[in-house]
Amino acid sequence: MIQNILSSIFSAVFLGSILRVVTPILLPSLGALISNRAGVVNVGLEGIMLTAAFTGVVVGAAVLSSSGDSIFAAWVGLFGGVIAGIVMALLLAFFHLQLNGDLVLGGLAINILGSAGTVAVMTQLTGDRSNTSKLVSPTMPSVNLPFLKAIPLIGDFLYTVFGNQNVVTWIALLSVGVLWFFLYRTPTGRHLRAVGENPDATASVGINVRRMRYLALALSGLFASFGGIHLSMGYLTLFQRDMTAGRGFIALATPALGNNQPLGTALASLFFGFADALGIRFGTLQIPPEYAQMIPYAATIIALVINSVSRRRAAVARARQFRETQSAASTSLPPNASTSR
Amino acid sequence: MSYSILTPRNVALIALSGLLSIILAFVITVIITNQPTIEAVIALPVFWNTFAVNLLIGVSLTLFIAENGWGALRILLTVLLALLIGFVIMVIISKDPVNAYRALLTGPLTRINRWGNWIEDALSLTLVGLAISIVFRARLFSLGAEGQIYLGASAAGLVALNVRDLPVGLLIPLAVTAACLVGFLWGLLPGALRAYLDANELVSTLMLNEIATRIYSLILASIKPASAGYMVSATFAADAVFPRIITGTRLSTAILFVIVAVILTWVFIQRTPFGYQIRMIGANPNFARYGGINTRRTIMLTMAVSGIVAGLVGAYLALSVNQKLILGISGGLAFEGIVVALLARNNVLAVPAMALLYAYLRAGAVIMQSEANVSLEIVRVIQAIIILLVTADAVINFMRVRRPTTPSNPPPRVTQAGQEPSVTL
Repeated sequence: MIQNILSSIFSAVFLGSILRVVTPILLPSLGALISNRAGVVNVGLEGIMLTAAFTGVVVGAAVLSSSGDSIFAAWVGLFGGVIAGIVMALLLAFFHLQLNGDLVLGGLAINILGSAGTVAVMTQLTGDRSNTSKLVSPTMPSVNLPFLKAIPLIGDFLYTVFGNQNVVTWIALLSVGVLWFFLYRTPTGRHLRAVGENPDATASVGINVRRMRYLALALSGLFASFGGIHLSMGYLTLFQRDMTAGRGFIALATPALGNNQPLGTALASLFFGFADALGIRFGTLQIPPEYAQMIPYAATIIALVINSVSRRRAAVARARQFRETQSAASTSLPPNASTSR
Repeated sequence: MSYSILTPRNVALIALSGLLSIILAFVITVIITNQPTIEAVIALPVFWNTFAVNLLIGVSLTLFIAENGWGALRILLTVLLALLIGFVIMVIISKDPVNAYRALLTGPLTRINRWGNWIEDALSLTLVGLAISIVFRARLFSLGAEGQIYLGASAAGLVALNVRDLPVGLLIPLAVTAACLVGFLWGLLPGALRAYLDANELVSTLMLNEIATRIYSLILASIKPASAGYMVSATFAADAVFPRIITGTRLSTAILFVIVAVILTWVFIQRTPFGYQIRMIGANPNFARYGGINTRRTIMLTMAVSGIVAGLVGAYLALSVNQKLILGISGGLAFEGIVVALLARNNVLAVPAMALLYAYLRAGAVIMQSEANVSLEIVRVIQAIIILLVTADAVINFMRVRRPTTPSNPPPRVTQAGQEPSVTL
């Protein structure tokens, strides 16, 4: 049985399925990353994803029934879902930045709002409390890359993994690079990171802290929305109540594991996608699915612990280094100067 | 926190609620039993039980007013504002919003079983509210109550189903203790991770919740009788459940456990050194540390103690409300507890009244869904609005103060050093 599992793990089909499973984790993780970097932890990712997923399906279904063009409907649905998700993120931003409300509780409220609001509207629209199977909704198109097959030796392998992925999966993969470029190579990105590092110092040099945080939360809403859209218009073609199943919360942990860097976050998400896909594989064997379903959550806790331990170790090392340079420099200073941090 | 509960105002309020309770109890008993004379009604235990429950409602509300003074009015206004916003949403999505709202706001009082559902839900919400306010007191954003409820319920259920031949009256205490112990351990785990390894408690408890619900369904699947058509355990034996006290409802003697839990939690928070340490950490962790408090140990134990109360909720749901284990026995109760704790401002004595208030909305929502065909989720939308309104202290200031010029750079209070929870991911 173990051999069975191992051989299926390293198959191209399995790797392809990891990419599919990882998309709705990677996108909100990037959202969590960008808001973390601006010093505003976005706990509301789950609610934003649900809102976007639901709005995407409803808008897409409406356009599909009136125009009949499923590709066009899918893109309009994507647009609608993203707008709805960003509105939710801006609601959280307004609540925290304008009304001085608690960010974590605000995020939890956004989650409840997203979870309950989608079900309430869905019940009113379709009369069904669990999913939108009564609506005919479009799917985001897949990107077919036949030229991959032409590559010698690994062509078939590459084609199976990458050749027919959903366009949202490609958005996710490209977002990693775009986000890196934004954060590290543009002035706005630098300002955004500075706001997260030290808001007082940033404000003192004339950068608008509040505006930067609005931007960060809106962008995190954008990424989370893409993740939600993938769930309801890529992975599945309908909206189910609470279909995010905690992915928005897992996304809160991935940037920590990925050292708050875009590439690291992507690798961490891949790890979760792997655990998730492994769980689905387990399900096909004779093991109760609950065991497999626990894997990603347990992995999140372990990752959280590993990260905080390593972060503390780094902090201790930094403090020691700081003290050494201080004591080297402060031989002529009064003794208490080196003790103040 | 030294005040006298026996001020003239409070005595008057309690006396008033006593009077109302007698009248209500009389009416309810007449409805249930159809007894014609006053003497016959008074002779029935149902009358006195109903009277006691109604009196407790009065005492809870009195405590709430005593604790908050005029602040009570502000909290009620917040809830009213949220209800108003909910009504606006209803007007948009429902064809018959007025009827729906009437069902929501008057429904729980229209039938005895609905009244019972309300009180029964208020009791679980009281316990959850206590569990949440303990951790919120220490400014810990631990939401582990959900998982602790599930595991507490399964522990109580396993004891109730499997332990035999105990002396009379010991089975229930044993089952409740088992539930509390499991809740304690399931709180100790994220508490230790947070205290000693700095693992963010919000994320870790949410993940542990997911794991706990899976463990619960695994347990349920293994004890499900072969004859049962869906996921449910066998009904517990009569000596393993709290006896019911009012016909037509699921109210039981467990109500006494809830009262004891409220009192003990209050004593724990306000009158013990450990409770003092919790409040200290919540007020200013650095000061607490310099004052010689072992903050790590306190944080860990705070989350574990909160787990005890949450485990009690599980025992209550299993042994009193359902008298068996059912799928999704908690159903997101922990998140409802957040609203209760917030409305009560983490004040233990205000929790029962706020639980009654919020349980009333929840009970009304079920009736609204069946009678007016509006999704009961609308109440969770109102819940989210309440959270936003209660925590945004600045709502009122924002509406009142209109500064002539908004500075492009806000003063550094954006970071709110004292206010912001310590979320470091």
